[in-house]
Amino acid sequence: MMRGAVAIFKRDFKKFLSTPFVIFMTLFMPIMYLIVFGNAMGGAITGIPVGIVQEEPYITETPLFQSASEFMRYYHQNDNPVLFSITTFNQEKAAQQALSTGRIMGYVVFPSDTSPGREVRLYLDSSEYVIPGLIEAGVTAAVRGTGANNPFSVSKIYGSTEYIQFFGVGVIVMAIFMTTMMGGGIALIRDRELGIIEGYLVTPVKRSSIILGTIGSGTIKAFMAGTIIFMVNLVIAGTVIRTSDSYLLVFSVLFLISLGITSLVVALASRFSSQQEYASSVAFLNLFLFMTSGAFYPVLGMPDWLRWMTLINPEAYAVHALRSIILRGQGLAIIWPDILALSIFTGLAIMLGIATYRRRLE
Amino acid sequence: MRYSQDWRESMSDPDLVPGIPGMKGSGVVEPEPAPGTLHPSGGGDRPGDRDVIRIDHLTKAFANHATVIAVNDVSFSVRRGEIFGLLGPNGAGKSTLIRILTTLMRPTSGRAFIDAFEVTRDDEKIRGIIGVCPQNSTLDLELTAYDNLAFYGDLLGVPTKDLDRRISDLLVMTGLAGRAEMQVKTFSGGMRRKLEIVRAFIHHPLVLFLDEPTIGLDPESRREVWRQIALLNQEETTIILTTHYMDEAEKLCNRIAFIDRGRLISLDTPDNLKRSVPAGDLIEIGVDRGDEGILTMVRRYDQVRSVEMKETVLAISATQGSRLVPLLLADLERHGVAVKSISIRSPSLEDVFIHLTGKKLDTPGVQDIPGLNRGRSR
Repeated sequence: MMRGAVAIFKRDFKKFLSTPFVIFMTLFMPIMYLIVFGNAMGGAITGIPVGIVQEEPYITETPLFQSASEFMRYYHQNDNPVLFSITTFNQEKAAQQALSTGRIMGYVVFPSDTSPGREVRLYLDSSEYVIPGLIEAGVTAAVRGTGANNPFSVSKIYGSTEYIQFFGVGVIVMAIFMTTMMGGGIALIRDRELGIIEGYLVTPVKRSSIILGTIGSGTIKAFMAGTIIFMVNLVIAGTVIRTSDSYLLVFSVLFLISLGITSLVVALASRFSSQQEYASSVAFLNLFLFMTSGAFYPVLGMPDWLRWMTLINPEAYAVHALRSIILRGQGLAIIWPDILALSIFTGLAIMLGIATYRRRLE
Repeated sequence: MRYSQDWRESMSDPDLVPGIPGMKGSGVVEPEPAPGTLHPSGGGDRPGDRDVIRIDHLTKAFANHATVIAVNDVSFSVRRGEIFGLLGPNGAGKSTLIRILTTLMRPTSGRAFIDAFEVTRDDEKIRGIIGVCPQNSTLDLELTAYDNLAFYGDLLGVPTKDLDRRISDLLVMTGLAGRAEMQVKTFSGGMRRKLEIVRAFIHHPLVLFLDEPTIGLDPESRREVWRQIALLNQEETTIILTTHYMDEAEKLCNRIAFIDRGRLISLDTPDNLKRSVPAGDLIEIGVDRGDEGILTMVRRYDQVRSVEMKETVLAISATQGSRLVPLLLADLERHGVAVKSISIRSPSLEDVFIHLTGKKLDTPGVQDIPGLNRGRSR
């Protein structure tokens, strides 16, 4: 019995040692997971953009406004940097505008006189996770800290958002990345690994035709996966989308991400020749992109170096665009930078795919 | 090395390929003998009219941990319409050579032409005129037989209006018409191979490359595949096949190139190759008694290379053994020796290979097929 067991052990181990790339990924990945997971999730959220404004008629800054804004400007938890990044608005309308376009995540309206009956109004971007609660807590502390006793009113401008709704949007994007990287990419590598590719590489079919056809079918598969998850998500999370324009925008964004990520996978897959190597690289890439996309946890909770990653992470733009449409009912006016970023990514991915695809076997 | 022109006389074996008269060389009619060297043009860019492939000092080296020279300074030509065999042991460089000719790999040095096109410069044109059946199956097992053919019909630019009819014809030809709509994964190895071979033929290529077409098949399936290859050759397509099966090369090929360790070691018709073995035919005559007198009597014929008595068997190596046997029998009768058995074996291609390289081909498959390997007598 032992001899057999030792033989199996040795065989397994020798095979493991013969694939340095996989060894590297097996060791490297948990370390990266530790660093990325540890920082991307549950980090202290800092620098939340918040607006403050004093009600009209504006005569002079009230003591309440002065002391509360001073308090909020330097408010921080333990050794962390300040919690809020404060912008002072002259008019309530301007603050409202800033909130609805996503430049700030909430604003406080202080009354024009400090008689105890006047209420302090708080408006929150309720589509975010954790952040609305932090703003509310900070503002309460600021007002109470001055000894004022004014009543509070809190308005969640997008209604109350459950975590599942916040997270659900991320899952749609993840579904597209997952199905394409795992399903689509593996199918391509299998063609190469099993030598099936040899069959059609010796036909006069053009390189561009191979890439166009592959990207085309992959895009449709990814788009279908995304659409199904989107529909299921609407039902499970109970999200309501009001206009048909929003549906159209959602589908456009889904299609754009599907196209971009499929092109990236085609580019990657044509450079890998073993399923094992591809799978371990892509599993890592997939998780990395997902973690830094803000799908789980607000981007504001990440350390600076990781926040830079979100700037080059197409998944972050996709999540932001979908969240804007689905949870906030915003339109092209808000998401155009996301669309632009996704288009640039898609264009680059297609060019990379065409440039790296090997028409020969070597 | 010289061409030989009498390959059409090569032995045909009607039992093996029934129903296809004259399968050997059926695509070629050459009234005139073809003397001359392998490269009559002496370095011109275009192959001669009769040559559909010309390979000129082709070398391919792989540089991984150590440099491996898979193809080493190989030059030869293939004539229009012939079935040309690349024969050699596993790892001799046959598949690499095929991959260079089918534009899947670039040669390290040297040139190769298919029709008027050079493999590195005009690779796209070449892909349009060749059909390739690689060594490993490249069928999509999840697709039906029809869909597999349709896919390649589209890739190879078969006119859309003809495609359906062409696929039907090919399926009838392979005897798979009834399974057109079945997934290929339900097919046997032989059926898959035949499907893959006709798939490479869907656009009537000028040259058809078959890399080890019968590897891993049972004897019955191999015969089926051979019949298929012979049928395709009747449509005037030049066929190049690689194999390490002696019998396959001998049955199918008009000419054979022996490849060993990347080098071309000999090229000729199967008969001429066999004639090149100095030992000639092996004649074995079972007798009731033997003595020195009989040996002396046998030795007086010029054709006899050697003779010895193995117990009661007279073992004679001689050229043109079939002409010698009647004379020997008459002599033995005159000596009053009773003949109990008789056999003549002409040298097999394996003997040729041993003669040329001093080693055996590793042909595990051949031993599995009784009656098809070196023990054949006529």
